[in-house]
Amino acid sequence: MHNVLVIAKNTFKEAVRDRIFYAILGFAVLFILLDLFLARLALGDPVMIKSFGLAGIYIFGLIVTIFLGSSIIYKEIERRTLYFIISKPVTRAQVVLGKFLGLFMAVALTTVLMAVVYIGVVLHETSMFDFLGLVAVFFQLLEMGLIVAVLIFFSSITAPMTATLLAVIMVFIGHLLGSVLYSGEIIGGTTYKLSLAFYYLFPNLEKFDLRNLVVHGISITPHGALFAIAYAVLYSGILIWGAILLLNRREL
Amino acid sequence: MIEISNLSKRYGKQVVVDDLSLKISKGETFGFLGQNGAGKTTTIKMIVGLTRPDEGKITIGGKLVDDISARRKIGFMPEAPYFYERLTGMEFMKFCGDLFGENNRSESEYEDILKMTGIFDAKDKAIGKYSKGMKQRLGFAQTLVNDPDYIFLDEPLDGLDPLGRKEIKKIIKTLQGNGKTIFFNSHILYDTEELCDRIGIIHKGRLLYAGAVKEFCQGKPLEEKFVELVEMQQ
Repeated sequence: MHNVLVIAKNTFKEAVRDRIFYAILGFAVLFILLDLFLARLALGDPVMIKSFGLAGIYIFGLIVTIFLGSSIIYKEIERRTLYFIISKPVTRAQVVLGKFLGLFMAVALTTVLMAVVYIGVVLHETSMFDFLGLVAVFFQLLEMGLIVAVLIFFSSITAPMTATLLAVIMVFIGHLLGSVLYSGEIIGGTTYKLSLAFYYLFPNLEKFDLRNLVVHGISITPHGALFAIAYAVLYSGILIWGAILLLNRREL
Repeated sequence: MIEISNLSKRYGKQVVVDDLSLKISKGETFGFLGQNGAGKTTTIKMIVGLTRPDEGKITIGGKLVDDISARRKIGFMPEAPYFYERLTGMEFMKFCGDLFGENNRSESEYEDILKMTGIFDAKDKAIGKYSKGMKQRLGFAQTLVNDPDYIFLDEPLDGLDPLGRKEIKKIIKTLQGNGKTIFFNSHILYDTEELCDRIGIIHKGRLLYAGAVKEFCQGKPLEEKFVELVEMQQ
């Protein structure tokens, strides 16, 4: 565990010292602050303010995750920085776990910073502390964790551009799975079986999208929340395990 | 002792290292020579556990290199190393040292290594701002973070100016004096002749010679004898 934390700390440092990281974060904060202007247009409608703010956190969280994660393992192999690590008493599994943890910490830091700005904006405009908004942000963070695992997996086999493309496709499909299954059920036959296969194979990211519920003040069930947490941990775990197997087989 | 027995490695149909066997005694400095693409880097990568051999085995200090604990006593400097450009030299040293466990070395010990390798003044600078020679020195410095018994250097003198080469050679000689076992790949034969007790010459993956430098040279310069031997194979 010690080596995992050492690698995570190093990954985190490298990530948060990237100038582009700050540029994205700056844009994200500006975007959320635009909520103050939107609040005037929406005559203080909290639904509009919350929708806009939470969407901002999600979109910019996704951009930061993909930007930082698309080359995370690939870069280590191509630039041979991995040579320094693997020639020491470190396993490849520790490298993958450390990279995952470090990147997730960087993404979590970004999300927390954006959430602080969001809470401030909502508090300023509605005089209410948006606790449910924080719950939605927590679930967004779970989704980002899963996407980090997706990126770690793809980054251990493909170049950054391909990893980015595949991750974007996964996110897109991941948010459509519910609709795909619903349509498949109506059509039936092979289409249903195919949509069922898609449903179980791809990560169902809709489980983490609580934004619509939150902005309308609808709370989630503890059962649903626990299931989503377990799903994120299990799916991410499988991807990380896959990445470890791939890196173990890879010639350096 | 480093013991390499019947080591082979193929990439596809190409045999990169072919049935290589070597023994390097404790405290010895061994120069591994060969042309570009002869199999030197692949061999050193297999020795330090970066690449798995297709056949054969490697033991370091009696432990198989697959055993992760064998790497506790190893220091490795890759060829033309790349670094985490946004870390400072000192942060990188600490990172490498921390991989050997908590409290591996104190900050002042890392500072001593950086002083010895001549980059102490740049310890708080981002590595991205280092020159090629400074990066080479940092690559050398990180091999010493765990006070290794066995030091593997892949082209350690590449990219250094004459003064830098002189300094690194001086450090290698100090390490020899401290009883360290040093294995290095090089194509700078003049330096090899000066530093090594024994040499190995590899050509197209096959070991052509392993033995004392003086025996090999027989009064002639190493470079001349090396070229002679390689040309005989072509």
